[in-house]
Amino acid sequence: MMQKMRRFLSLTLAMLLLLAAAACSAAPASENADAVLGSGSRVLRILSGSENQDLEPMLERFAQQENIRIEMTYQGSLDIMRQLEQEQIPYDGVWPASSLWLTVGDTGHRVKHAESVSVSPVVFGIRKSLAEELGFVGREVSVSDLLEAIRQGKLRFCMTSATQSNSGASAYIGFLYALLGNPEVITLEDLQSEDLREQMKELLSGVDRSSGSSDWLKDMFLEGDFDAMVNYECLILQANRALTERGDEPLYVVYPYDGLSLADSPLGYVDNGDSGQEELFLQLQEYLLSPQVQNEIQRTGRRTGYTGISEENLDVFPAEWGLQPDRVLSPIRMPDTEVLFQCLNLYQTDFRKPSLSVYCLDYSGSMAGEGNEALVQAMGQLLLQENAEKNFLQASKEEITILIPFNGDVIASYTAQGSGSELENLYQLVQEQPVGGGTDMYAAAIRAAELLQGYDLSRYTPAIILLTDGQSGGSFSQFQEAYSQLDAQVPVFSIMFGDADETQLEDLARYTNARVFDGRENLTEAFRAVKGYN
Amino acid sequence: MKTKLIGLGILAAVIAAALVYAGIAGSQAVTEISGYVGGEKIGLLEDEEIQGILKSRYHLSIDYAKAGSLEMVREDPAGRDFLFPSNQTALELYESLHGSPVQSEIILNTPLVLYTRSAVAEALEAEGIVSTAGDVRYVDMEKLTACMEEGRTWASIGLPQLYGSVAVGTTDPAESNSGNMFAALLANTLCGGVASEESLEEILPRLQNIFQRLGYMESSSADLFDQFLKTGMGAKPLIAGYESQLLEFAVEHPQDWEQLRGDIVMLYPTPTVWSSHVFIALDEAGAAGIDALLDEEVQRLAWEKHGFRTGVYGAASDTSFFGVEGLAAEITQVAPMPDAAVMEQILQALS
Repeated sequence: MMQKMRRFLSLTLAMLLLLAAAACSAAPASENADAVLGSGSRVLRILSGSENQDLEPMLERFAQQENIRIEMTYQGSLDIMRQLEQEQIPYDGVWPASSLWLTVGDTGHRVKHAESVSVSPVVFGIRKSLAEELGFVGREVSVSDLLEAIRQGKLRFCMTSATQSNSGASAYIGFLYALLGNPEVITLEDLQSEDLREQMKELLSGVDRSSGSSDWLKDMFLEGDFDAMVNYECLILQANRALTERGDEPLYVVYPYDGLSLADSPLGYVDNGDSGQEELFLQLQEYLLSPQVQNEIQRTGRRTGYTGISEENLDVFPAEWGLQPDRVLSPIRMPDTEVLFQCLNLYQTDFRKPSLSVYCLDYSGSMAGEGNEALVQAMGQLLLQENAEKNFLQASKEEITILIPFNGDVIASYTAQGSGSELENLYQLVQEQPVGGGTDMYAAAIRAAELLQGYDLSRYTPAIILLTDGQSGGSFSQFQEAYSQLDAQVPVFSIMFGDADETQLEDLARYTNARVFDGRENLTEAFRAVKGYN
Repeated sequence: MKTKLIGLGILAAVIAAALVYAGIAGSQAVTEISGYVGGEKIGLLEDEEIQGILKSRYHLSIDYAKAGSLEMVREDPAGRDFLFPSNQTALELYESLHGSPVQSEIILNTPLVLYTRSAVAEALEAEGIVSTAGDVRYVDMEKLTACMEEGRTWASIGLPQLYGSVAVGTTDPAESNSGNMFAALLANTLCGGVASEESLEEILPRLQNIFQRLGYMESSSADLFDQFLKTGMGAKPLIAGYESQLLEFAVEHPQDWEQLRGDIVMLYPTPTVWSSHVFIALDEAGAAGIDALLDEEVQRLAWEKHGFRTGVYGAASDTSFFGVEGLAAEITQVAPMPDAAVMEQILQALS
């Protein structure tokens, strides 16, 4: 009798608890998620590298099966690392490209159950005919072989920023090893070499375009006219499928044997003390690691499972594209954290091609008050170097920064060179400029294009960064005219704010092979992200 | 707003029901003890069968937070019932910092081993670094260490498909117990005995040299083992870990193990060191944990499901049910860990 009673009570208790949980956890969608999959009321929030966009169909299916919602926020691996260092981590899961960033960032040991979901090496994808011409087909290629081709001007390539994205960082560390003569591990001493500085600058001068994210690099590559890119094997495969579909030449995959890195894609749980979320997370992880889904993931061009690529999936890794599904992937050793950070700092301040950034900033009347405050604060994160350094966004000595405040017309333009007082003075101007008047972003963009004509753009990574908060007057076609005078494709990245017209900005982005960033939620983050592309 | 009110109402009902339930169940009250645990034992503490035994026979449940073995003893022990580190050095350190605990006892043991792939094991065997007795493989630590100190490449031992020089992948000795114990093992090897104050001067620079060349190190033994299995022979040709890790994996993931078993090789260092999981009871409630965990049934499950060698099951007569080839029936060649003061200096030199 007693036992029955107890069972009845515990059952009731369990049911009530479930109800209470359901009533309390109907959380609203966080507005900064990049993709919302499924439509249930329970939510799993995952902070992920952009390369995982490819896996959304599988995540969507799980969300529907379980009647939950998965909110994906995509960031570069280094941003994910920094997020893990914060006091609050407003996510249930993290999914960076490599466990390196997870380990380095998770100083508070709040990430549990981390498991690798798939593996993809960072490789060079080179237009096949060019790869043949360079003699890279059908033989082992070293980083030095690639460097030689770059030095001779025969190979130009795109890569993500080494200080923002894992694929760029991995490739860059591979370059460092090669230029240092393949030591067992890189030391702080090695990095001080003058020789290294010169050679690395020469090497990185072969970089056509940079990007803050691997997935967008692939998109940009497909939109533009480039010879080669450094990216994950799985994204090169994806690009090749798009290229061949439209009848273009595919990329040939080169695995530099002395500079290879692996992205092991660990998915870990962020312990914020909610056991219900933990259980849900583990269910998702189990689903992703189940044989069926692992096989599906393998068909996207990622390496999964314990025994390599299965017989039936070999068609996804065609040999004529240079793919080596059976290759033993033997990566270089990553240096320890202290050395690694020094490598990244040097990339940012000394080695990379200097940026030439033109900021067109909206000072129209509608920006008054909060809008203007947010703008000043955001620019402070980029222009004041002690802030910029925290995000590896500091300027180099040769960098050029141009400021064009505008309203219904261009208000003025200011130019600063380097990373010193000139740059910090721009911040003063940003602060002091009063607001008022209408909005014509095209006028500012035209002025930017005119100013850029005065520079040898091949020596810089140029970009126009445009912030606006309203429907713009002026003329897109006039901008096109001025833009066509430039002898390089300069991306016009824009940051959407207030009531900006997204279609106007998208047109600009499409025309210049750039992208639009949303600054309405967090303007500082948008500016930081955009700077990571330049 | 309305859902919030409903939620609150339900919550009140839950509390009321819980009170009634607690009244009925009162005679069977379960005491919860809480403390810090090293990560590699979480699988065991989460085992529902083991939790059931603790609850029904000992009216005990164990709540834990994960912490590093040395880190947990350095912290102020107030408010905890127990600490459950993964080596005896931690107990020594505890005693020197806080005095004798209420009670302490070794609950589980597992030897430090190296894991590799069959191609690598064969190459090491051809070099005379690995030897086989029965189906158990042993690695001569002196020869392996010499190989690393000389900076020999994988290619030079017949593995041209592997880039770089021969090295043992390990976790960061300052952050994780397996790395810490591997450093101890290397220190012992370098001085040809048990590392002591006197030998430190000579071996520390050599130890630093070996570890410096490893570059970046993982901070968790579980992550390193997962990467070893998943990133393949190229990425992690040879790593240090616990014997229990593979045994637990084989039991928990029988299908995956079926695919892998032909290729994964366990190497026992000669001599090796024990990872001894000492339960340090900080109060009387914590001391009850010792009795519960030493329960014969719990000890059997600890071996059969989680691969920990225990007092009763340490010299296991039957190892075949794991389906793990090359599992030694007994661990005979073991050297003691250097004492806590020596370990402190080693860790300091390596961090």
